[in-house]
Amino acid sequence: MNEPRFRSLRTLLQSAFGILLLLTGCTNGVMNSGGGGNGGGAQASVTVSGSSQVRLGGTASFSATVTNLTNTAVTWQVAGINGGNSSVGTIISSGVYTPPSSIPATNPVTVTAVSVASPSASGSASLNVLNPVPTITSASATLASGTSYTIDVFGTNFVSGAQIQVSGSNVTTTMVSSTELQATVSVPSGTTSLSVSVVNPNPGSASSNSASATVALASVTAAARLLDQATFGPTLGQIQNVQSVGIDAYITSQFNTPYTPLPNIPSPLPAVCLSANTPTVCEESEWWQAAVTGNDQLRQRVAFALSEIFVISSDSVNATTITYYHNMLAQDAFTNFSTILNDVSVSPGMGAYLNMLGSAKAPAGQIANENYARELMQLFTIGINQLNQDGTLQLDGSGNPIPNYTEAQVQAFARAYTGWTYATSTGGSPTKFPNGTPNYFAPMAAVESAHDMTAKILLNGTVLPANQTTEEDLAGALANLFAHQNAGPFVCKQLIQHLVSSDPSPAYVARIAAVFANNGSGVRGDMQAVIRAILEDTEARAGDTDPLYDGGHLREPILWITNFLRAVGFTNTDPNGSYYNLSNQANNLSERPYRSPAVFNFFPPEYVVPQTTLNAPEFGLENTATAILRLSLANTLVFNKISGFNVDLSATSTLGQIAAPSPANLVDTLGTMFIHGQMPSDMRAEILNTISGLSTAQQVRVATYLVITSSQYKIMH
Amino acid sequence: MKANRRSFIKYASLAAAGNALGLRPFGALNALAQNSPGYKALVCVFLFGGNDANNTLIPFDTNGYANYSSIRGELALAQNSLLPLTPTPNFALNPNLPEIQTLFNNRNAAFVANVGTLIQPLTRAQYLAGQTAPTNLFSHPDQQLEWQNAAPSGSTQTGWAGRIADSLGSLYNQGASIPMITSVAGDTLFCNGNATSPVSISPGNVGAASCSEGSECNAREASAQALLTLDSGLSLIQADDTITTNAYAYAKTLADAVQSISPLQTVFPANNPLAAQLQQIAQIIQVRSALGVQRQIFFASLGNFDTHADQLTLQSALLAEMSPALSAFYNATVELNVANEVTTFTMSDFSRTFQPNSNKGSDHAWGSHHMVIGGAVNGGQIYGTYPTLALGGPDDSGSNGRWVPSTASSQYASTLSQWFGVPIADLPTVLPSIGSFSANNLGFV
Repeated sequence: MNEPRFRSLRTLLQSAFGILLLLTGCTNGVMNSGGGGNGGGAQASVTVSGSSQVRLGGTASFSATVTNLTNTAVTWQVAGINGGNSSVGTIISSGVYTPPSSIPATNPVTVTAVSVASPSASGSASLNVLNPVPTITSASATLASGTSYTIDVFGTNFVSGAQIQVSGSNVTTTMVSSTELQATVSVPSGTTSLSVSVVNPNPGSASSNSASATVALASVTAAARLLDQATFGPTLGQIQNVQSVGIDAYITSQFNTPYTPLPNIPSPLPAVCLSANTPTVCEESEWWQAAVTGNDQLRQRVAFALSEIFVISSDSVNATTITYYHNMLAQDAFTNFSTILNDVSVSPGMGAYLNMLGSAKAPAGQIANENYARELMQLFTIGINQLNQDGTLQLDGSGNPIPNYTEAQVQAFARAYTGWTYATSTGGSPTKFPNGTPNYFAPMAAVESAHDMTAKILLNGTVLPANQTTEEDLAGALANLFAHQNAGPFVCKQLIQHLVSSDPSPAYVARIAAVFANNGSGVRGDMQAVIRAILEDTEARAGDTDPLYDGGHLREPILWITNFLRAVGFTNTDPNGSYYNLSNQANNLSERPYRSPAVFNFFPPEYVVPQTTLNAPEFGLENTATAILRLSLANTLVFNKISGFNVDLSATSTLGQIAAPSPANLVDTLGTMFIHGQMPSDMRAEILNTISGLSTAQQVRVATYLVITSSQYKIMH
Repeated sequence: MKANRRSFIKYASLAAAGNALGLRPFGALNALAQNSPGYKALVCVFLFGGNDANNTLIPFDTNGYANYSSIRGELALAQNSLLPLTPTPNFALNPNLPEIQTLFNNRNAAFVANVGTLIQPLTRAQYLAGQTAPTNLFSHPDQQLEWQNAAPSGSTQTGWAGRIADSLGSLYNQGASIPMITSVAGDTLFCNGNATSPVSISPGNVGAASCSEGSECNAREASAQALLTLDSGLSLIQADDTITTNAYAYAKTLADAVQSISPLQTVFPANNPLAAQLQQIAQIIQVRSALGVQRQIFFASLGNFDTHADQLTLQSALLAEMSPALSAFYNATVELNVANEVTTFTMSDFSRTFQPNSNKGSDHAWGSHHMVIGGAVNGGQIYGTYPTLALGGPDDSGSNGRWVPSTASSQYASTLSQWFGVPIADLPTVLPSIGSFSANNLGFV
């Protein structure tokens, strides 16, 4: 093994020696040397001519002229090595030189032709190996954070030391591969595109073509994940929209989008719910329609989250008032938490559900109804036990949780909430208590004669003095809860769980609770600030760049259905325009809008997946029965079998037209629609393998079914 | 009724093994297993929201009723509407429980009075003096969990049924094709063990997921299942993979088991969700030998007992749903010849204040009266101690009639557990606080 290398070294030394001795006739790097010591006659010589430079990736041709020998055959060497090698480049018998993959250590290289007949006769040429000329095929700029953007340049012939230039100026560049470079740059706001080129370094420094990089304010993954968190489901169009405007501006624009009101349900009932003779059908139909078609997606989604905290249910509340209640939550979603607290408390829906409606000052032998007093604290505002600002439990000296309130305080709040009943048809206070004529479309009204005017000792030493009015006591009680130290972490953690992640870190909760406490301008409870902070938090966005970031939450049945419909598109074909059949489908999975079985919502925030330590509220609805029912519903969806809806997954559908020429493109499109562009490669391969050979329509159906039933999709992550 | 039937276990296990091998048990063995007295089942009916026991089991003697009526005020049920209990003439039932009345009078049902969550025996004086009591009394979710896990606090992740399954599964259900515990009412802590988890069944929906792909169905299902085996690296994805993988297996097992059985003759009330749940349980019991189970625990539920307002109307409707459903289920166990092997019992968050509120309702309280039904029940009796119905009286935890329980829910559970086969030595594992109470068997079953 060593011998050839030794021989090569000797040859190299001889060549160098020859160059020193016979430094003559050197033009354009061409040298020759005569064979030495062969006695009389014309001396044999070899002259080499050809290129003086070559770029990596190209070739250079040489020819040898042999003089005074009959046999003009030569052998070629590079740097004295017969045929060259991968370090110095290679040369073939016809004299064509191919450079190595990178600039050789000794550059220029020497190409030598040695006479076969007279090995002492040789000629050489010097060749400069230069870097290649880079070419850009595409470039993009995607918002990383703040004004910082990641520029991604794809092309060919990128070499170590290649520089991205933005508008002609070098920027610090990271080489990903010979076909991809990245740089992080600051981009002034309002910039829509950047002029990008790549310059390879010396030797032979050369600039690429110039390319225009569209400034995308979010990656496909970031945009789709944001839409998972902030809407009733991404669409390809909305993904592009978020990419172009960016997450922050998207949230701002959603804050400013007018809300989609659910129409009041008239009496007598309209056709859409007359057949079932219950306003519930109308109410749920309206809710679904707003959820899947409303432009105010973030507002509707936050209202949905609020409806799963401030739960009311058509199980026991007349659905006619639920549209009013939902509209109130949608309108209040971007106001202040204290506004929500007040409006929920005086709403006829909550009044009827948790019995503040009609709760009178207790006569002798009775007590005031404790229902709203207890659950408003336990479920809606502060919880049972004292919390740290990061949402973790405070513990006493013995390691036990510290209750927030006593039974006596529950009773004090209960007395504070007495005196409310339905408003009159014009929204005023009735003269009798309780008012037996419902007004479902106005806040409840106070009747002072039914209010308990004794003093009440509330939390944190707050006392409502005797002789306050009904309104004063309610305002005082709600202010007491709103100001409570638990309110921020308690409410914010639940909002995070509904929108982003089942088990947020304490630090995440603490960051949002801090925003709840102070929006930066000294305002407590600013919902816009809280929502923006939740959605833009590093923990919410971690999955944008790290597909293995361990967060997220199970897509509850309602979201799973709306996500599907929005992604693939649909038309409503019901003769009355009803969306109610979606409730029938969701109901199989134990969920339907405003129809929780109890005030604890369909699933409790503290739910832990059995036999794990995973806090994952939505798994309260996920068991071996509902998992099967969800599979059946997926079959119903992909076979377009929901009455009143047309979901086109045929060969001529958008997905069908993608699938026909390329099943792989179909699967990738589904990956963008449903798994924010991060479908794992093994999943992709499995699905592709399964649909191979099927008809186009069946490919679309089966692939869509496999994606939407996969745990990768069911877990919004 | 209470003889040791362990000697039959062997044969039943053979039947189970046959099933596990995909073989149908042959006729004689099948018949033996179907009639096997070695089988036992507990059926929990959880009354979510806190059933008002004060208006479920009511004093009926002159003085007792008069006291009840004077304090209960607007919520008092008319004496002439109450359903007398022949064996215990001083007590009567809510008028909406005629089927329970019959079961009780026929000694197939019993009540356990004033049972509730406790960590140790407790009197009013001790409670008011701050002696250790369960945490978060009067809170629905906490008291639901404390009833279900029978632990000092709601913090553990297992329920007492789940721990029974941990303890007895290998002894009784070797080779069974479904878990010991079946829930027909979704996930609850009650059913979760350390090493075992329940099978959930949606009533009326036993079987595999539907598929309309014709000849491609097998390939689609195989691929969907293959996706569950890919390692995602994400905790929640893996958790859902596990649930869904089990779901496929159980659905197939159950579909196979029920495919050729004849329907029960017992008529269950229509438009009655609890009845639908119990009917589903009866069907599972019907195919117990095909499933290879000798011991089963079922969980069913009925909600909306949180009657803070308009209680008389709301509770009447709920009890009127519950009573015929429980009765039909008992009748189904008679039809299946397992009436003595199936014991049904109620649990609930808590009872409600004896003192009414100003909304014609009642509020969250504590000790409650529960019912136990089945051929093995020593029925026609009220176990435990009925509380003194006096506001601020000897059994009141305060002044509104929230009774301090005189019997612990863990004693109630312990009695059921022992009948089911939990050895005395295992009781502390299943019911960690049982050692704090002098009696671990109340004798009602």
